[in-house]
This record gives sequence, structure tokens and C-alpha cells, in this order.
Amino acid sequence: MLATVLTAQPVPPADKLSAPAIDYGAIMPVLIVLGAACVGVLVEAFLPKHQRWPVQVVLSLATLAGAGIAMAVYLGDESTPKNGVITLAGTLAVDRPALFLWGTLLVLTLGALLLIADRSVEPGGAFVAEAAIRPGTIQDRAQVAGTGMQTEVFPLTLFALGGMMVFTSANDLLTMFIALEVLSLPLYLMCGLARRRRLLSQEAAVKYFLLGAFASAFFLYGLALLYGYAGSVKLADISNAAAGTDRSDALLFGGLGLLVVGLLFKASVGPFHTWTPDVYQGAPTPITAFMAACTKVAAFGGMLRVLQVGFESTSWEWRGVLWGVAIVSMVIGAVLGLTQTDVKRMIAYSSIAHAGFLLIGSIALTDQGLSGTLFYLLTYGFTTLAAFGVISLVRNADGEATHLSQWAGLAKRSPVTAAVFTFILLALAGIPLTSGFVGKFVIFSAALQDGMAPLVVIALIASAVAAFFYLRVIVLMYFSEPAADGPSVTVPGAFTTASITLGVIATLVLGVLPAFALDWAGSGTFAFQ
Amino acid sequence: MVSTLWSNAVALAQQPPSPVQPIQPPSGPSELGSYLPIVILFVLAAAFAIFSVLLGPMVGPQRKNRAKTEAYECGIEPSPQPVIGGGRVPVAYYLTAMLFILFDIEMVFLYPFAVSADALGLFGLVEIFLFIATVGFAYAYVWRRGGLDWN
Amino acid sequence: MTPTYYLLLSALLFSIGAVGVLVRRNAIVVFMCIELMLNAVNLTLVTFSRINGKLDGQVMAFFVMVVAAAEVVVGLAIIMSIFRTRRSASVDDSNLLKY
Repeated sequence: MLATVLTAQPVPPADKLSAPAIDYGAIMPVLIVLGAACVGVLVEAFLPKHQRWPVQVVLSLATLAGAGIAMAVYLGDESTPKNGVITLAGTLAVDRPALFLWGTLLVLTLGALLLIADRSVEPGGAFVAEAAIRPGTIQDRAQVAGTGMQTEVFPLTLFALGGMMVFTSANDLLTMFIALEVLSLPLYLMCGLARRRRLLSQEAAVKYFLLGAFASAFFLYGLALLYGYAGSVKLADISNAAAGTDRSDALLFGGLGLLVVGLLFKASVGPFHTWTPDVYQGAPTPITAFMAACTKVAAFGGMLRVLQVGFESTSWEWRGVLWGVAIVSMVIGAVLGLTQTDVKRMIAYSSIAHAGFLLIGSIALTDQGLSGTLFYLLTYGFTTLAAFGVISLVRNADGEATHLSQWAGLAKRSPVTAAVFTFILLALAGIPLTSGFVGKFVIFSAALQDGMAPLVVIALIASAVAAFFYLRVIVLMYFSEPAADGPSVTVPGAFTTASITLGVIATLVLGVLPAFALDWAGSGTFAFQ
Repeated sequence: MVSTLWSNAVALAQQPPSPVQPIQPPSGPSELGSYLPIVILFVLAAAFAIFSVLLGPMVGPQRKNRAKTEAYECGIEPSPQPVIGGGRVPVAYYLTAMLFILFDIEMVFLYPFAVSADALGLFGLVEIFLFIATVGFAYAYVWRRGGLDWN
Repeated sequence: MTPTYYLLLSALLFSIGAVGVLVRRNAIVVFMCIELMLNAVNLTLVTFSRINGKLDGQVMAFFVMVVAAAEVVVGLAIIMSIFRTRRSASVDDSNLLKY
């Protein structure tokens, strides 16, 4: 009696909460990126207009270098545990796959940032001078000709990168949701900042925003249902709860379904791809390169962790559905890619087909599946980065000439550009001696080992169909007469050249000597706690 | 009826007090009595409002004209709509509303922190200052780039 | 009153929001429907917090509110920029990007 009365006592004196343990060494790369993004905002606030561009470029590049060095120091440290640490009160898991994805994201962002910073292809860069200027007015025509630029793009890129890094290492769903928003919101804005064809750019931003917010609402409702199921949003707790709980399975599978819809949308897979071609076409090309390379890495990194850590124990329930999604994605990407007449849209459909391949790797819940998917993300990121770099070079008086008919006979005008683009297309098609071949090989062999032979057969057919539309562009570039008023190929400055070179060399090296990268990708599995 | 209530109350009062009393919602005349000043304040405020509204027409001169009898007299012109602006509110309102939402939401975290500031100790204090600093960066940006100028 | 009713209510609100996104044509209304979905999730979180007897669901609702506010700001900025160009916020008018 007395005990029950005592427990009903008024507010007990507050206990001291102990501060969570933070492994600063492990999370230093994320801290550097997000901290530098905040500094970037201050630069925008306090520096005069003409100083912002050089300062932002130096700051962003130094940030990427700093984050890379911090990661190398952490990896080189003898005391770093091999199977990863879970820090910040269990919200971040810094394990080998997370570090591999961080490295991938940092290098790919470096390439994208070089494209963003470039001012040689178009004086003033690919971004609008003042986003508030209304398209079609006199001021708009003046800004197209001028050299001003909305330099907020640099801190926004860093914020998006920080969100992506957290997303790939989030150990609970709430952290994952916040990271998802941190990476998405800057991307929505950057999509609408093109210097030319601003209406198209703004339209892409509205579409991306509305559909993206719709998808995050689904992700969030999935999170809420899983919280109801497991009493926690930690991936490991959800996995443990699936082993024994009295709550209804409807919560578990309803939650998982909604959650995965949100993730598939971000990764532009299968039937959730509708935004991809429009946004890829409308956004400024450097931003398209950033999205195509880095968002894909982040989204599949998060998906791998959710499926492998949170839902491995229930895999026989959901795997069939994701089989279907992977098939739909590959078919849509390959078939609709055939009908495209715009180069950027064609690459967008190609990315949907590639998302299908990546999904095959993600649902092969083995170590080979994990390392194969990680490797594929690395190779695909570099190749697509270089592809958009080349696309930004082919221009006429109105800006980029992306219609396929304008690319006819490009090899006669600029043999080097045509050769580079041919190499990239062959890599996307998965021809041997390119990284695309090795990536497909490791993913398909992992899928075969995990008993997914029918899926592999469909994937091979889809790659054959997709190869057809890559070859069509190659034929067009080499065996057609150039149009009289066709576009010219701009000679790129140092930044764009460096970015394309980075992508092409990585594609070649990973195709010829893939062993070292495969070792990194397979050096560890997700931490489970 | 009243007498039984009274005898119950007396009987209760004569019992020895239990050693520990669980917290109870305020009840009985004495607790209600502590709300009396607020009630008086409400009554006074209402009386003043009614008084002022009634006083105006009673003591003021009554000179009606057309503009005065219109339904809406101040603020933004209800009609005719300007052609150029599309009849919409100026964009400055939108900007202010947007900034308000952002800085207002800061409270969502400050309030729980303030309630348990004791328990969170120095770590919590440092964290909340970091949080305020990040919002401060955004504030500095808005301020320096003219987001707070009203024109 | 059992908490199940709150779960049903929030599911209903979420569905109303989702259907609204699909059938409404004005970008602002679509956006409001998305906000309705987020707030339905908040109700779910708070209800599960009550059922589980923990407070973390309520804390999550705070995070969702903050994210929703940030989303409002970004979303309205984008919708307004296209509205200023087109004088219309209808999603049907955005038809430059197709096939």
C-alpha cells in the first residue's frame, strides 16, 4: 500500500542525465562538412558580392579535402574497431559500409562541385544571377548575359552532402528521416536555379518538391507504424521485435511498405520514378550530375542498411514484392529509354534501369550482395558524373543542345568529346574493360548465389535492350552528317576538364583493376546494435 | 442533502491525516477561490470593452457620410484589385511569414530544454547554444541580405 | 476511450491528405494536403507514445514539426517563384517537361 502511494509522489527531483558518449574521431567528416556549410552561409552574409565566388569555391574544396583527411586518419588509426562503432546515443553507425559510402560521396561531390564551380563553359556558371528575377523580363535577359551567380549553391551542396552522409550511416529511422530532409531540401532549391530556360528549371523544382514531400510523408508514416510495432525506431530493435512481439504484423509490414516506398522514390526506382526524367532535364546540368551520382549512392546506402539491419529476419515476406519492383524498374528504364529524343532524359531512363540492377544487389541479403552493390554505386556514380559533364559542353546559342538530332555527326566536329562520350555510354551499357561490366558482374553473381536466377535473366535482357539506345547515340555521333546550324562543342576550362577526367579515369581503372575497390567494398558488414 | 454532505465533510476532517497524500487536482472552495482575481480581471476587461464601445456613439458627434458607412475602412484596399499585382498581398508579407515560421519553431526545442535544463547539465547547455548558433547563422544571412527591410 | 480510435483517425487523415495530393490541382492545396499527412503522422506518433508508455514518440513529433516548417519555407519559395512567372499555381499548367 505504502509503496503504491510512494510511487504516486509528485515530481521526483530530476536525475542528472548522463551525456551520450560521442566518438568525435568517427563522426569528424560529417562535422566538418556540416560546419563548413554553416560557414558558407556566413560567407554569403558578410562578404561583398564579388568576393563570394572565389571564397566559396576554396572553402568547399578545402572542406571536401578536410573531410577526406579526417576519414583517412580515422581509418588509419590502429584503435579503430574493425566492425564499426555506434555513437551519439545509438543514432549513427560508423561501420565499414558507411565509411565506404562516405568516401564515395566525398569523391563524387568533388567531381560535381567542380562542375558547379565551372565558369568557362558559360560565363558566370550554370546558375542564375538572382533567383528572384522573373523569367522573361528585361532583367532576366541581362542576367543571362552577365557573369553574376547565386553562390548559395555551394553551402547548399555541402548541406546536401552532410545529409547524405548521415543518411547512409543512420542507425535509427528518425535520424534517417531528418537526414533525408536535410539532403532533399537543398536539392529542391538547387533544381530551380538554372541560368537559362528558367521556366523549365522552376517547373522541375516544383515537381521534384511536391513529389518528394509526398514520398517523405509516406516514409514518415512507415516510421510511425514501425514505432508502434517495435516501441522504438532503432533498426536493431525493430529486427529484434520481429522475432517476438504481441503486436500485429500489419503494423510491421504496413510500416515497412510505406518506408520502402519513400526510399524507392529517392532512389528513383521502378514505378516511383516519374519525377526523374523531368527533374534531370530541367535542373541545371551540374546539379543533375550531383543528384544522379550522389543521391543514388545515399538512397541505396540507406536502403541497404534498412533491409539488412532492420528487416533481414522477415526477408521471406517482402522479398517477392521487391523482386517485382526491380523487374518493373528495369523494364521501364530500358523500354522508355528507347523512345527518348533528349540526351538528359535518356540518361535519366538509363538511371532508372540501373536502379533496378542496384535493387537486385540490395535484396541479395548476403555479404556479396552488399559489397557488390557498394561497388556498383561507386562505378555508376563516376560514369554518370562524367556523362553529365560532357553533356554540359555541347551547346548552341540558346545554351545546352540536348536534343539527340543536334548530336548528329558530333565526332566530325569534336572527335575527343565524341570518343569520351562513347566510352561513357559503353560503360553504362556494361561492356568489358569498363567499370560498368565489373559492377554488373559482381551484382549478378551475388544474385545467382542467393537463388535469384530468373531475376538475373530478366536483368540481362534489360541490359541488352538498354545497350541498344546507348549504341544508337554512338552511331548517331559517328555515322551521321552534322547539321549546318548544329551546336558547337565548348572547350572546357580546368574545372570541368578535371571533373570529366576524374569520372573517365575512375571508370577505366575500376574496369581494368577492380580488385582493390572490391576489397574495400567487402571489408566489413553493417554494425548491428 | 446538504446536511449529509456536511456531516461527511466533518467526518473526513476528523480522521487522522494519512501519512502521504497523492497529488490531487485542485478542488473545493478554497482552491477555486485562488482563481477569483483572474475572474475579476476578465469581468473588468469585458466591462471596459463594452463600456468603451457603447460610450463612443453616445457622446461623440454623429456625422455620417458614404465613406464612413462602408463595411471596411482601413488596411489594404479591398477593391478594386490592382491589375499588376494580381490582387495578391505584397510579397513582403510572405517573406515575413516565412521567417516567422522558421524562428518560431526554434521554441519547440527551447521549451523542453528549459523544463529539464537542470537534468541536462552542462552538456545540454552547450548543445542548446550550438543549436541557437546555427539558427543565428540563418538570422545573420537574412539580416545582411535585406530580408528584414520592409519595402 | 481506447487509443485505437486515434490511430484510425490519423489513418483517415493521412488518407484524406494522400487523396488530396492526387486529385487537387492547385500547388498550394496539394502542399497543404502534404502537411495534413505529416500532421496525421504526428497524431500516430503521439498515440503510439501513449500506448507504449514512453515519451520518445512525442519528441519525434517535435522533430516532424520542425521538418514540416522547413519544408513549408522551401516549398512556398519554389511555388511562389513559379507563380510569379506564370500567374497561376495550377499543377496542370506545368507542362513543359514531358516525354
